[in-house]
Amino acid sequence: MKESFARFRRKPAFTGCMLFLVVLILNIGIQGWSTCLSNGVSVGNILSFFQPSALKSIFMTNLPFILVTVGQALLLLVGQMDVSIGVQIALVNVICIMVPQEWGVPVWVGWIIAMLAAFGISALCGACCAVLRLPALLASYALTYLVNGINVLIMNVPQGSVPKAYWKPYQSTLFGLIGGKDAPQFLKFLDYIPVPALVLAAVLLIWYFISRRPFGKHIYAVGTSQRNAFAAGISPVKVQMKAFLIKGFFVGVAGICLTLMSASGNPLQCEEYGIKSLSAAIIGGMGWGGWGSISCGVFGGGFLVLIQNTVYYFFTLLSKIFVGFSVTSYWQNFVSDIIIFGGLLMTIVTAKEQRKTLQQGLKAQFRRGEKYAK
Amino acid sequence: MPSKNMTFEPNANKDFFSKLNLFVQTHTALMAVIIAAILYIITIIINPKGMNTVAIGNIILLTVILSIPAAGQTMVLISGGMDFSVGAIMSATAVLTTYTMKGENGHFLTVLIISLAIGAFVGFLNGVCCVKIGLPAMIVTMAISNIVTRMQYILTQGVLSGKASPLFSSTVKFKLFGVVPHIVVYALIIWPIVFYLLKRSRFGKQLYMVGNNANAARLNGVRVTKIQVLSYVFSGMLAAFAGMLGAAYMSTARCQIFDDYAYQSLIAVIIGGTTFAGGSGSYEGSIAGSLVMILLSNLLTTLNPTQPVRNVLNAAILILLLVLYNRGKAVRQ
Repeated sequence: MKESFARFRRKPAFTGCMLFLVVLILNIGIQGWSTCLSNGVSVGNILSFFQPSALKSIFMTNLPFILVTVGQALLLLVGQMDVSIGVQIALVNVICIMVPQEWGVPVWVGWIIAMLAAFGISALCGACCAVLRLPALLASYALTYLVNGINVLIMNVPQGSVPKAYWKPYQSTLFGLIGGKDAPQFLKFLDYIPVPALVLAAVLLIWYFISRRPFGKHIYAVGTSQRNAFAAGISPVKVQMKAFLIKGFFVGVAGICLTLMSASGNPLQCEEYGIKSLSAAIIGGMGWGGWGSISCGVFGGGFLVLIQNTVYYFFTLLSKIFVGFSVTSYWQNFVSDIIIFGGLLMTIVTAKEQRKTLQQGLKAQFRRGEKYAK
Repeated sequence: MPSKNMTFEPNANKDFFSKLNLFVQTHTALMAVIIAAILYIITIIINPKGMNTVAIGNIILLTVILSIPAAGQTMVLISGGMDFSVGAIMSATAVLTTYTMKGENGHFLTVLIISLAIGAFVGFLNGVCCVKIGLPAMIVTMAISNIVTRMQYILTQGVLSGKASPLFSSTVKFKLFGVVPHIVVYALIIWPIVFYLLKRSRFGKQLYMVGNNANAARLNGVRVTKIQVLSYVFSGMLAAFAGMLGAAYMSTARCQIFDDYAYQSLIAVIIGGTTFAGGSGSYEGSIAGSLVMILLSNLLTTLNPTQPVRNVLNAAILILLLVLYNRGKAVRQ
C-alpha cells in the first residue's frame, strides 16, 4: 500500500490528481452547504453534488472542454500545441448543424463530414507545426483566424437545431437510456451514471488501446528529444502528425458533444477553450514535451471545471449567509481566475517533488545499490 | 545587423532562393521595410485614393502605438522569455485612463503614475513567476493577463465609462501640417530611450548575454534573474504607456479593447528578426515589423472583404510570413 502510493507519487499525474481531489471535496462540501441553507438540512441536501441531475449537468456541459484538454495534453506530450483547438470544435458544431440543414442528408452523415473536417483542420495545423516547423503557438494562432473565418462563412448567425432523438440520449443518464420509469427498479443505481461520462470513458478506452502500441512509446521519445528519436529510427514528423490526427479525433468527438449539448449551432463559441485547455493541461502536471500523461489532461480539465462550479456555489452560499450580499458574475470570474493562477503556482511545489524523484530514479539507474533497490 | 546563423559554406550551386534566404536571414529589418513597401504599393494600386494625408497620418499613428509594446516584447524575447500580458495591460490602462479622466483635463499626471505603477507591478509579477519560480512564460503571462482582464470588468462593470481628456487626445491625434500626427513626439521620447537601453546601456549588453547563454552570463558575473525580471518590468511599463496613448487615440475604451496587441506585437517583433530562442534581435526591426502589421491590416481594409474572408486572408498572410521567417531547424542536418 505504502509502496504503491510512493509509486503513484512519482507519476506525472500526481499533481493534477491531488489538486482535483481537493477541489472535488471543496465542491461537494460547499454545494451541499449551499443547498442545505435553502431546503433545510437532510442527508440528500448535504450530498446534493451526487444527485443524478447535478452529476448529469456537470458532465454534460463540460465534457467538450475535458476532451479538448485531453487533446491538448497529447500535443504537449510530443512538444507541440494548438491554440485554435477551441474554434475547431466550433467548426465541428457548425458543420454538424449546417450539412443536414442545407443538403437534406441524414444527421449522421453531417457528423461524419464534421469528423472529417476535424481531421482535416488538425492535419493542416500538423502540417504547419510539424512539417513546416513553424512555432506551434504562432502558427496555431494564425489558424484561429482561418477557422474563425470558415465558421462564419459556413454559418453567419447562430441558428439550427438537432432532432430530439439525437440529443435526448446524450442529455440523460444510463437509467434513462434503458427506459427510464419503465425499466426495472433494481437498476435504479444506473441513474448515477450519466451518458456523457460513458462517452468520456469510451474515448479514454480508445486512447488506452492506442497507447499500448509502439506509438505510445514513440510519443515520449519524440517529445523528449526529436534528434535522439530520429537517431533511434523514429520519424519525428510522422509521430507528430499522428498525434495531431488523434487530437483531430478528440476534437471531433468534443464538437459533436457540444452540438448535442446545445442542440443548436453557434460559429463564435468556445474560442477561449484554446488557452484555457493549455493552462488546464499544465495544472494537471504536463511538462513541455515528453513529460506527463493523458490522465494529466483529464485531471487538469476536471480541476478547472470544478473550480468554476465551486466558486459559483460559494457566492450563492455567501449571498444566503449575509442577506443583501450580492456580486456580479465579474467577481466570480475574477476569483476563479485567481484560483487557477494559484493552481499554476501549486504545480511548482509538486513539480519539485517530481524532479527529486526523477533524479532519484536516475541515480538508481547509475548505482544500482541496495539503497535504491526499489 | 544580426549576424546569427551565417553559414559561409563553399556552395557552388547557390541558386536564387538560397541567396534570398540568406539575405532575409541577415537583413531582417531591411527586409521588413521592403515587405512593408510592397504591401503599401499593392494597396495603392488597388485603391489609388488610399494615398491621402489622412491615411498616411493614421498609418504613422498606429505604427507608433504598436511599436511601443513591441519594444517591451523585444526586450523580453531577447532575454529568452515571452510576454502575453502586453495586450491585457494595454486594455487595463486604457480603461483606467478614460475612467479617471472622465473627459476633463488635468488628470494626466495621476493617470500616468498609476498606469506605470500597474504596468511595473504586473511586469514584476510576470518576471518573478516566469524566472524565479520557473513556470512556462506563455502560460503564466496568459493566466496573469486573464486576471488583469477580469479587473477591468470589475472596475467598469462591463460598460463604457468616461472619456480621455480633450487635451491629452489632441496631443496624440492633432496632425502637424495635416500629415504627421503629434504622437510622433511621444515616439521621439520613447524610441531613443529604448535604443539607448538596448544598444548602449549595461542593461542591454547583459540582456543579450543572458539571452544567448544564461549559464555563461552567470559565470561572467551577470545577475541573470535580475536582468530577466527587469525586462518583464520594462515590458509592462511600456505596454501601460501604450495603453494610455491608445485610449487618447480612441477617446473611449471598452474592456479588452487592445487584447489583440499581445499577438500583434509578438508577430511584429518576430517579423523584425528577433527569434524565440533569445539573444538576437533589434528594435529597429521591431519598428519595421510594426509597420508591416499595420500596413497589412490597412491592405485588408482596402480590399474591403467581408469579415470572415478578411480573417482567412489574414491567416494565410501570417502563415506565409512565418514560413519566410521563423522555421525551426531540421532534425536531419
